[in-house]
Amino acid sequence: MKWPWRKRFDELDEEIRAHIEMSAHDREERGESADEARAAARREFGNVGLVKETTRDAWGYVWIERLWQDVQYGLRMLRRSPGFTMVAVLTLALGIGANTAIFTILNSAALRLLPVPHADQLVTIGQNVQAANGSLHRNIHDDETFVSYAEYKAYAQENSVFSGLLAYSSFTDTTLGGDKPRPILGTVTSCNYFDVLQIRPALGRFFADSDCAAPGESPVVVLGYAAWQQIFAADHAIIGKTITLNRTLFRVIGVAPREFEGTEVMASAFWAPLTMEKAFQPADDYVADDFLSWLALIGRLKPGVSTRHAAANLSVVASGLNSLQPGRITTVTLGRATRLSAPSMRTQLLTIGWLVMAAVGLVLLLACANIASLLLARAAGRHKEIAVRLTLGASRWRLIRQLLTESLLLSLIGGATGALASFWSVAAMVRLAVAHLPISPEFALSLNVNSDFHTWFYAFGLSILTACFFGLAPALRSSRTDLTLAMKDDGAQSQTGTASAGRLRNSLVGIQVAVCMLLLLASGLLLHGLYHAQTLDPGFRMKGVTSVTYNLAMSGYTQPRAAAFQQELREGVAALPGVDGVAQSAVIPLSGSHDGTGFSTPNKSKTYQVEYNDVSPSFFPLLSIPILQGRNFTEAEAETGAHVLILTQSTARRFFPGQNPLGQVLHRDTTDWQVIGLAADTQLADLGNSGKLYVFEPTGPDSQGDLNLMAHSGPDPSITKEISAVIGDLDPHLAFTVAPLADNLEQWRAPARVASALSVILGALALLLSSIGIYGMVSYGVSRRVREIGIRRALGADNGDVMWLVIRQAMLPVAMGALVGIVLCAVVSSIFSAILFGVSPLDPGSFVSMPAFLLAVALLACYIPARRAMRVDPIVALRYE
Amino acid sequence: VKDRYRNRIELLQGTLDLLILETLRWGPQHGYGISRAIQSQSGDVLQVDTGSLYPALHRLERKKWIAADWKISENKQRVRAYRLTPKGRTQLADERSRWEQLSLAIAGILNSAKREFET
Repeated sequence: MKWPWRKRFDELDEEIRAHIEMSAHDREERGESADEARAAARREFGNVGLVKETTRDAWGYVWIERLWQDVQYGLRMLRRSPGFTMVAVLTLALGIGANTAIFTILNSAALRLLPVPHADQLVTIGQNVQAANGSLHRNIHDDETFVSYAEYKAYAQENSVFSGLLAYSSFTDTTLGGDKPRPILGTVTSCNYFDVLQIRPALGRFFADSDCAAPGESPVVVLGYAAWQQIFAADHAIIGKTITLNRTLFRVIGVAPREFEGTEVMASAFWAPLTMEKAFQPADDYVADDFLSWLALIGRLKPGVSTRHAAANLSVVASGLNSLQPGRITTVTLGRATRLSAPSMRTQLLTIGWLVMAAVGLVLLLACANIASLLLARAAGRHKEIAVRLTLGASRWRLIRQLLTESLLLSLIGGATGALASFWSVAAMVRLAVAHLPISPEFALSLNVNSDFHTWFYAFGLSILTACFFGLAPALRSSRTDLTLAMKDDGAQSQTGTASAGRLRNSLVGIQVAVCMLLLLASGLLLHGLYHAQTLDPGFRMKGVTSVTYNLAMSGYTQPRAAAFQQELREGVAALPGVDGVAQSAVIPLSGSHDGTGFSTPNKSKTYQVEYNDVSPSFFPLLSIPILQGRNFTEAEAETGAHVLILTQSTARRFFPGQNPLGQVLHRDTTDWQVIGLAADTQLADLGNSGKLYVFEPTGPDSQGDLNLMAHSGPDPSITKEISAVIGDLDPHLAFTVAPLADNLEQWRAPARVASALSVILGALALLLSSIGIYGMVSYGVSRRVREIGIRRALGADNGDVMWLVIRQAMLPVAMGALVGIVLCAVVSSIFSAILFGVSPLDPGSFVSMPAFLLAVALLACYIPARRAMRVDPIVALRYE
Repeated sequence: VKDRYRNRIELLQGTLDLLILETLRWGPQHGYGISRAIQSQSGDVLQVDTGSLYPALHRLERKKWIAADWKISENKQRVRAYRLTPKGRTQLADERSRWEQLSLAIAGILNSAKREFET
């Protein structure tokens, strides 16, 4: 390669040549012979190469060419040891690829801006309402940073920084009516939604301001592109037709473009004006409630307005809202508009995300440690080469740079391979994970996991960082060489520095074992948790119980109509052959939904947040939950909704420690509730947790719209069909699911299964990498000490002594690392407690078996090379080197 | 090996620059000539190390305090001759006064120390 500054190189050569020649000329004139003069001049000048190099440093731009030389040299070195290169590149590709894949998912959810024009102008607005003193009445739906309709209107009208401010409420569970009712997920929005986002309709029109003029007046709907394609067969004549959403007829006015699926992580199947909210939640009036958090806000900044300016302006509007309630303090926070704008979901997903990322990062760390020790071993082999280069005038910094360049090359090749692989496979990975998580298949995840600037930058940055991680220590180590010793052939095998190199290798092994131990223990815990979840007895009967889930309140039933429907359904199902019991329950056990409320003790001294369930008297016998004290509800109480309670045992203990709970009175808001019975603790709410505060109320006229049904029958599988037929006869437009109650276990086990699978894969990978590391360390150590072992044998050491010597030295760092790993895991393992289902985060089973397993593998990894040490022939060993 | 050069460069940094500029005040000169001049003018006390001289020359050239041209020497050799630029001349004046201040200051300290030592 010819570089533009080659001419200066030649000139420098000539300048130095002239210097030496003039010096020799002077010496000749002083009477020295030509040869002598020339040699003396050269000697006087010093190290020509080094002078040239330091002089070139003064030019300031030669580093580019140096870099190029280093790259070429590095590539040559890598080609020369293809085995090493292959192992290193593959290890790095795996580590960096896995990290990049996880990052890509986080990126698509939390960093990537919404796929709308000029998304950088969009900001989300979160509102935080606090009380100066005492409590403030506020209903929370979904996320407490959301705002009410009245508050939205105040922000929209009084701000001076947005060209438009939109509000929406996602995740509106809806039943799409028709021949075959089906659940779909939609969004209710302010009517400027699409205008602010600058989206053009694929078909028809979007909302006009008049659509939001008055509550309930304008039943119009915009369909999502995917819904239009899949449910309505891409019917171009759909515009102007009506569809049924929760029993209200909506007129289709438009179809959104294909690339726009909404402003949340789940794709929206339709958009309706938020003034139509009551059609979706007939039981409540969200729009009229001035203190209900239910609307998320996105604003488009006017050109030239900074986020800070906007925040200041909105704070003024927010403080104006304080006059709505005495003692109210309102603050606002602004954020970038991404898929995960709602703070509560963001925290949840990001916590899981970072956790997975940390685990994958640890595997990468392990890979780094492995490659570092490989590099160290290689550097020992290149000892002489390095010494020669130092003697010829290469500076140490130059050598370090050169060695680092090799590391960088390795890691960039590995990183590029890994990143490409992860970009290709991440979509499939997400699909696989989603398929194993309890998300209804109708609800499609809307994430763009294509690579972008962020992901490439991340992969690149990570590769560089990785290279520094595994390359720096070996480079520093191996460039520190005592020249005189190194040049004296290999005779002494340079004993100097061996101790420090050995320490470095030992600590690398220690780190590997620690990380591996952490991952193995985590996977041991998770596996135990999963096993526990698979075999857990939830404390109530699931076998033969079928759950029938539907939502009359959301399907437009009034309470009296709902009561009539419940009555007919109950009788219809009870009359089916094989059914020997039916029970009503607002919350189906282990369904993942929870109803919560606050109860306070007699003199209102303490208020507890408890879960509650409205159940019929038959609930307890149907699920075989024993009433331990007192009595069950009566039919009359369930008819009228009497204010009586059955507590679980542990709830009673918390409310009334040391007292007889029966006959005691609890307060909720302004009503008094009498405790009439005590039920056994069961895991109705959360699998693996029977100690939750949980109370039962009898069903009543007000809860009819919320109730679901359970039936117990013999083992005849046709029962689901028969129950479906009963519902179909009663109301052909009602969406419902009929399934064995035991199916609910699945959604608890699924996350545990995904987590265990992931941790087992990572743990196995870690084990593989660290046993390679240990093996490498021991066999390298043995090969370096052949002579010493030979002497020991010549002096009478037997096989056992030699074996003990090798293993003792190798297992010391292993044991230290294992100890560190165990302590680390004990510190952090409580974060898994949610999916351990009652297995202690310090589960002795895992904390004994996993270390034992790891130590056994480590011993094996030591044993194989140690056996080689036993076969050392003293005569051969002493001649060696 | 490296460390030996590094030490000497650090030791002479600044001072060497001043000596080079001063030498060039008497006319253009090549690298060898400069080193000979410094050596003889100092009565063989100062030996200029080439590993310091050439980096310094090229550094000064980059700062545009000196400029270089290729010339033919008396014994028909192509040499790179350095000369002082107007900017270098100003710099030399600055460096010189700074050096004089410094040496006066050091001399003052040493002299007072000497007096104390003697009394």
